[in-house]
Amino acid sequence: MRRLLHVELTRLRWRRAVLLLLLAVVALPVVFGVARAWSTTPPSAEDLARVDQQVAEETARPYVQKQLERCLAKPQRFGLAADDPDLQAQCESFVLPQREWFLYYETLDLVQERDETGLAVVALVSVLLLLAGTTLVGHDWNSGSMSNQLLFETRRTRVWTAKALVVFAVSLVLSLVVFSSYWLALWAAARSRDLPSSTGILVDCLQDGLRGALVAAGAALGGYALTMLFRSTVATLGVLFAVAVAGGALIAVLGIDAQFQPQTNIAAVVLDGADYYVQVPDECFTDRPPPGIACDEEKVLPAANGSIYVGSFLLLAGAASVLSFRRRDVP
Amino acid sequence: MNDLVIETTGLHKEFRSRRGGLRVAVQGLDLAVPRGGVHGFLGPNGSGKTTTIRMLLGLARASKGSMELFGHPVPQSLPAVIDRVGAVVESPKFSPNFSGRQNLVLLARTIGAPTGRVDAAIETVGLTGRDRDRFKSYSLGMKQRLAIAATLLKDPELLILDEPTNGLDPAGIREIRDTIRDLGERGVTVLLSSHILAEVQQVCTSATIIGNGRLLASGRVDELLQGGPAVVRVEAPDPAAARSVLEGAGFAVSPAASDEPDLLVEADSPAEVTRVLGEAGIWLTALTPVRRDLESVFLELTEADTLGHEHVAHPTSGGAA
Ligand SMILES: Nc1ncnc2c1ncn2[C@@H]1O[C@H](COP(=O)(O)OP(=O)(O)OP(=O)(O)O)[C@@H](O)[C@H]1O
Ligand SMILES: [Mg+2]
Repeated sequence: MRRLLHVELTRLRWRRAVLLLLLAVVALPVVFGVARAWSTTPPSAEDLARVDQQVAEETARPYVQKQLERCLAKPQRFGLAADDPDLQAQCESFVLPQREWFLYYETLDLVQERDETGLAVVALVSVLLLLAGTTLVGHDWNSGSMSNQLLFETRRTRVWTAKALVVFAVSLVLSLVVFSSYWLALWAAARSRDLPSSTGILVDCLQDGLRGALVAAGAALGGYALTMLFRSTVATLGVLFAVAVAGGALIAVLGIDAQFQPQTNIAAVVLDGADYYVQVPDECFTDRPPPGIACDEEKVLPAANGSIYVGSFLLLAGAASVLSFRRRDVP
Repeated sequence: MNDLVIETTGLHKEFRSRRGGLRVAVQGLDLAVPRGGVHGFLGPNGSGKTTTIRMLLGLARASKGSMELFGHPVPQSLPAVIDRVGAVVESPKFSPNFSGRQNLVLLARTIGAPTGRVDAAIETVGLTGRDRDRFKSYSLGMKQRLAIAATLLKDPELLILDEPTNGLDPAGIREIRDTIRDLGERGVTVLLSSHILAEVQQVCTSATIIGNGRLLASGRVDELLQGGPAVVRVEAPDPAAARSVLEGAGFAVSPAASDEPDLLVEADSPAEVTRVLGEAGIWLTALTPVRRDLESVFLELTEADTLGHEHVAHPTSGGAA
């Protein structure tokens, strides 16, 4: 078995299309991370000085001062209470020009990144690794070299397993490194900007990365298993595409519950539980909903449910793939 | 110890055709290949040679029947014997984007063969200098050579070659023929499937001829060439007269070819032909014994099997194809 693993690893290293995909797995998240760090860069001291000057100029304008006087005189008009002890400050923040009016910037918020770019990076890497898993064996079938391999190792289950292990392990290690680096880099950026960056947040992010890596490696394994089943890259991608389209239509037509949709389940695995929304009975919207009915629209899908969902698909594809590879004639 | 290297009994293979019927590729084939020597495996296109070989090697599943390699039942014991079997099955199938050498290295590592074997194999088949080029850039003959090199990685006791000289140039054909003969003499058993019957006759000690997936004849080549009536070729100044005289004397006579004046006469004794013609005052200009060759034996045996002959048979009870 060790020999076979070595052979498959070598085969992967020599296959240029696969290497290019793996390169993209590393490069695209780097681009993503750099773009996030860049777009959340705090303004420079110069920018701030310029804006402050602008604010001062605007504040000094007569009509602005008139507004301020009006606010102090009749706070009710501005939605403020007349007996507010802080009336002066309230009115100033209400009518006087503020920095944010002239300078908009996003701050880097790791908690928010987890839900947004974190999930997007996992999705991107998963698709790339699925393609890599598919390409790796699709080539063996296409060229017919699978039969030649089987003349040197006839135990088909072993051949299947060796290839599967290499696909899974390489994908897992690579995506783990990529995701961990992604989070460490963003966390370091947040920390250097004195933004909230406790170790707790970092640990959460890294755990997302670990679960995301499992999802990505699972995608690679799934792509591999389906290609061993359909014996062609094109067929596999075609079937996946058709299933995605048909599945999407089915979900739309039948109104399938969000908790059974793939994206909810994958998000639940990566984020350790995902929010989804359900329809609640109309009675909930009356003034006094009758007791005993659930009116909470927002639900949480636990990671365990998501894992079972994703895992069963993977298991199904894997089992069909092994059985077919063991039984069918190899061209 | 069984002295048969390959033995199949009642081997069947059916393919389900697109139109829902069953195409029987191999039907009840009993193949026996003795240890040592080169054994020809002959048959017209589509007669089931490749299918039989693929079943022996575990690439295709038999619908019915049993097979043994070195006395071990296959495909069950294939893992135990495959290291002793080298095979080229029809067109060479390697990864097109890898070099010839890379392809061989991967295969060698699969069986734990030292890398030195790769160099040796490349040298034996004459690919040195081109071994680092991509497989897809090879000519047909070079691909075929690489396939033969791959069989040498195992140092096999049995070599199964399905049309190994397909696409080779005359020099290549001769090289392969010499290699095969060498191997046969060194004690390697070779099963050689080829349509170049002159080649087969030169190198094979024994042969099996199949048609439509059935055994037609099997045995030593000299035995296969025997049998049938002896034939002489008669050249005479007046073929028509000669023909009527010979037929009058009870010989079976046929023209050698439609546009040739020569006659083919079935006769155990050429002297008898000379005597009959001489007594009739016809003096022949030439008389040559016609040697039966493998080609004529083959054509006689497989006359009935035309390509495209549909065999839609009743499903056999065993299993599905
Ligand atoms: N995968 C397949 N599916 C369906 N039919 C097949 C398949 N492989 C072979 N056959 C059929 O089985 C029969 C035997 O084919 P096979 O390739 O064994 O012939 P062959 O003796 O090797 O011929 P050739 O001399 O042309 O190589 C043919 O009728 C062929 O069409
Ligand atoms: Mg053939």
